[in-house]
Parts: sequence; C-alpha cells; structure tokens
Amino acid sequence: MNPNNPYIPELATIIETFDETPDVKTFRVVLQDAAKMAAFRFEPGQVAQLSVFGTGESTFVICSPPTRLDYLQFSVMRVGELTHRLHTLKEGDPIGLRGPLGNHFPYPDMRGRDIVFVGGGLGLAPLRTLLLFMLDHRADYGNITLIYGGRTPEHLCFKDELKEWAERGDLRVELTVDSPGPDWQGRTGVVPAVLTELAVSPENAVAVTCGPPIMIRFTLEALSKLGFADEQIVTTLERRMKCGVGLCGRCNIGEKFVCVDGPVFTQAQLKGLPQEF
Amino acid sequence: MVDRYLADSALASVVAAWALDHRVLAPVREGAAIVYRVFTEDTHPFLGRPPTSSAKEALLPQTGDLFTYLYRKDRADLTRTEVFLSEPPPPEPTLILGPRPCDARGRHLLDRVFLERGVIDPQYSAHRAGTLFVSVACTSMQNTCFCHWTGGGMDDESGSDVLLHPLGTGGADGFVARAVTPAGEKLIAALPEATAAMLEELAAARAAAPAPEAAPDLSAVADAFLAMFGDLDFWTDQSARCLSCGVCTYLCPTCSCFNITDENSGMKGRRLRTWDTCMSALYTLEGSGHNPRFSRAHRLRNRVGHKFCYHPREFPQAAAAPSGLEFSCTGCGRCIKSCPVAVDIRGIVLDILAAAAEKAEGAP
Repeated sequence: MNPNNPYIPELATIIETFDETPDVKTFRVVLQDAAKMAAFRFEPGQVAQLSVFGTGESTFVICSPPTRLDYLQFSVMRVGELTHRLHTLKEGDPIGLRGPLGNHFPYPDMRGRDIVFVGGGLGLAPLRTLLLFMLDHRADYGNITLIYGGRTPEHLCFKDELKEWAERGDLRVELTVDSPGPDWQGRTGVVPAVLTELAVSPENAVAVTCGPPIMIRFTLEALSKLGFADEQIVTTLERRMKCGVGLCGRCNIGEKFVCVDGPVFTQAQLKGLPQEF
Repeated sequence: MVDRYLADSALASVVAAWALDHRVLAPVREGAAIVYRVFTEDTHPFLGRPPTSSAKEALLPQTGDLFTYLYRKDRADLTRTEVFLSEPPPPEPTLILGPRPCDARGRHLLDRVFLERGVIDPQYSAHRAGTLFVSVACTSMQNTCFCHWTGGGMDDESGSDVLLHPLGTGGADGFVARAVTPAGEKLIAALPEATAAMLEELAAARAAAPAPEAAPDLSAVADAFLAMFGDLDFWTDQSARCLSCGVCTYLCPTCSCFNITDENSGMKGRRLRTWDTCMSALYTLEGSGHNPRFSRAHRLRNRVGHKFCYHPREFPQAAAAPSGLEFSCTGCGRCIKSCPVAVDIRGIVLDILAAAAEKAEGAP
C-alpha cells in the first residue's frame, strides 16, 4: 500500500493466467518494483484492489497464502465491466494493485482446533488461502475437513489441487455438485445437505464458510443444527467497494465497513450488526 | 481579537485583495439559485441569503483527479505495454466566502471521515489545510433550519476562520468581521475597527431575534433508530415519496460518500473521484446482481441511520450537541428545502423516536 496516498496503486505485472472454470480465470501477479514485492506481507483472508487503468478497479481476495510469496494469486469470475476487461489480459500485461486491505481470518484462535471448510463455487478462493496456510503449518491444527460444491464438475475451481488435497491423507475432502456429468465420482446435492449428512462434530471445531448468499444461509442453519455456536462460525462478506480504506461509504453495515472491519466476521459479530446483507 | 468593520461598499475590493493570493469561491445569484463561483473582477458576491449548495465543494470537489495514467507500447514488441502513473498537482490556496455557520460546522464532520477514521485522505487533507472559511452569521432562521437540534446556532463560530455579522437587513449596512483563527485575523487585519455603536446595534439585533422553537430531546435517537431498523414497513412508509434523486446528498454539507471511476482517452486517462449518493440503487449494486439496499426504504434508512445513529456510535467521544451526541448533520435544512417531494428528515427523526417509544411500551 502506498504510504502517502492510499488511492495510488502499485504497478504489477501478470506473470501467468489460466482458466479455472468457464467463467473463472486465475491471475498470478508480481509487483514491478522487486523491493516492494520482497517486502509485501499480508494475512490470510485479506483482499486487494486490482486496477485495469481505463476501466476501473475491483476488490478480490488474495487467494495464495502468505507462506508462498513468489507471486500473488487472484481468481476472478467474469461478471461485470472490470472483470470482463481483466479476463482479456495476458501474461506480461501491466495492472495496478492496492493492498493488502481489510482484516483476516482469526487463525491464531483456530490453532489446536478441528477446522471445517464449507465452500461453494468461487467462494473457495478465500478458503484456499487459509487452507494452504494451514497445510504449511499442518501441525498447528487438528482434523481438517473441506466440503466443497459447485453447479457442475466443470464449475469446481482449483480442480488439480482438489485432487492433490484428497490424496494427501492429512485432510478430508468431500466434493459435491448440483448436476453431475457422466464421469462424476463424487457426491450429488447441495453443500448444506452434505454437511448435515456428515454430521461434523462442533466439539473444539471452527467452521469457515464462503459461497453464494443462498448457500451461506442454509450452511449457517445446518451448522447451527449440528451444534456450532455463533463464535465457532467464520465467514467472509462481499460488498461493492470503491476506496477499500473505509472512506467512500458504500460497504457499511451500520457503523462498520466491510473493507476495513471485514471482510472476515464471525457469525456472532454479524448478529451484533444491523441486519442488512 | 479586535472586531473590525467591513462596509458593504468595500466588499468587492476586499474580496479582490483576498483573490490576489487565493482562489476565492464567492456566492453569486444565478436565476433562483445562489451558487459558488470562482471570483473574478466581474463577480458580485451575494451574502443576503444562504447559498443553495453547501461549502463542501471547497474541501471535497464534486469531481477531482486521484491520478492520471499513461500507457506506452514497447516499440520493439507491440504486444507489450507499460503504464505510468502521476499524481495531480496540490490544490491552490482557497478562500470560500459566504458559508453559513451550519456549513462551517460541516468542516469538522468531514474531518471525522477523511482525517480521523484511520486512513488520512491526502487530497482532502491538502484542501483542508489550504482553505479558509469566511462565513456569514444568520440573523433569522428559515422554516427549514434546525441547526439548534444538532448543537449549532445562528452565530456559531466553529469551523469558520472569520465570521461576518450582518448589520442592517442582510448586511445592508455592512458587517462586523470577527476573526476566529489566526489565519482569519490576518485576512481582516487591514479593515477598520468596528465602533461601539455597531457592536451595540449587533447585540440589540441579536437580543431581538425570535428564539427558535425548542429542539426536541434527541439523546435516545441512535438507539431508537436501531429499534426501528428491522421494521421495513416503517421505512417503506417514510420513503414512499422519495424519488432517489439524491439532491439531499449532493447539497448536504456533511455527506461525503464518493465514487471512483476511470475516464479514458486513447492511451491515457485519469482516475476520478466524484460525489456519489447512497440514494442511488447503483451505489451498492454488486457485480453478481445482488444488492443489499435494493429498495428506496433500505436506502433512505441508511442515510438517516448514518447521520443520527452510525455517526454518533462511531464517534462517541465527540459529543457536542445538546443531546450529548454528535450527529453527521448540521441542521442546514437544504435536504428539506430542495427535496422535490418534501421529504423532511426532521419528521423522520421524530417519527423514529415516537415509533420506538410505542414499540417499547407495547413490548411485554
């Protein structure tokens, strides 16, 4: 982040891009100033604003972990003006980056506990950051379970890694899709149903969830029925953002700003805010 | 500090002298409106009535560059581009003439956002440091005015560098100029001293001005707002007439929300900061199509909530108003006066208090 002017992005270069799904593309970027890249630090769950000069700027989670700093990874769904433009960029193209912004997952509080990741679609992106961070400090955490769903097998993000994680043996991976194809080996059905079926124990556990609003809603209900207390449920919120530093106004929930007080909240914290999601 | 006298006939020459080393924004009449324009020798400042717009444009321009960018293609490999960014020049020293005490108090409320929330906004900070407020005290309250609800008053000095007190109707006999800050004292140092007779006239006029109707007790309004937050029927009712035009936010001395957009021209362009309005559905519309404030009820609720609940909760130490709370509202009444459908924020605030009290009584 520019210490003198929070609105001026650092210049960065795309070093690699590849498709995750028909509408999600991954970008790996490095800051052009090597010294700034070497000094770049962030916490899992923090976000950054990516600029395509001439089109604008949008907020994305840094979905590579702070334990792997060769590049910063962003996985971007093509939905609006900026993301359409971003998807046309290729290796070597310059972009702008402002970050890290926002708060982060409360991982120090999660040490020694079982972790249940519950993700849907591109909601796996912030979970990926924390999951890789935990795998890089594997001994600090108890059992790790990932329950992840997508519309179709094709719409699952990070497919190679999902396979790799399932084969590691030190975490449990449960995949599910709404509409299976002929070659699908995993489950069929929505994420909250899988969560209920697996009867994940809330004892000494933390659930971390991110996905589309409808999935989050039913996941919260399912977790609650399984006995998870509000303090044991962590989620990250999406909001339209512009400045990213708590000034432009639009991402407020009551007097909190998702860009600085979030995007990570526990369910207990969310219940203390005016209900406007 | 010595009270000085600014004769009505001397106004133009005094302002012209200030304009030698400041960009002077002066209120001028344009049709039915009184708007701020950059002072030139042809400008006739009009101080007789409050300006239509607030003074915030002096500190937070309606449109301003955050930076400019330039793309350059690599001549050896035309598929490669480089980009260069440059920051805009610092703002000119500015003097704004003619704000009212409610506008000048707005400065402190903008400071809360841009200087005290955590991240210092460098451009606001530069504008703030380089801008002087020469305000005009009020001699009467219009029926849309409610500055006394929020801790202000007709001759409140906070936020001003110089406060001009009109003599005669609307300053027909000139002004008693009172410096509030050292920078303000320098501005008026060359003016003659005000006479004892002028000060007596001023005091007599002040004593004769009718007192406004007593302000309601707003000490419970933040909690009352939260109690009514979830009652969407209440907000639908309050916002039934609202057109989402946003004029309330654009004219408000404390509304500070902004948008950031790029304006491109060939291989170069600029990133702009412009005023935005929480009354617009686009303000919170997400790329996915989800909108947490999809109805006018949600949006009006946010605006009222920000001013009378979220702000005092965010800055609880800043209590200034008689209610013991600082609101993000100075009671200038522009949102009431200029609303095309007569939405009245005073009425909404009173309805919140009444409805919350009724709810509390009805509770088991």
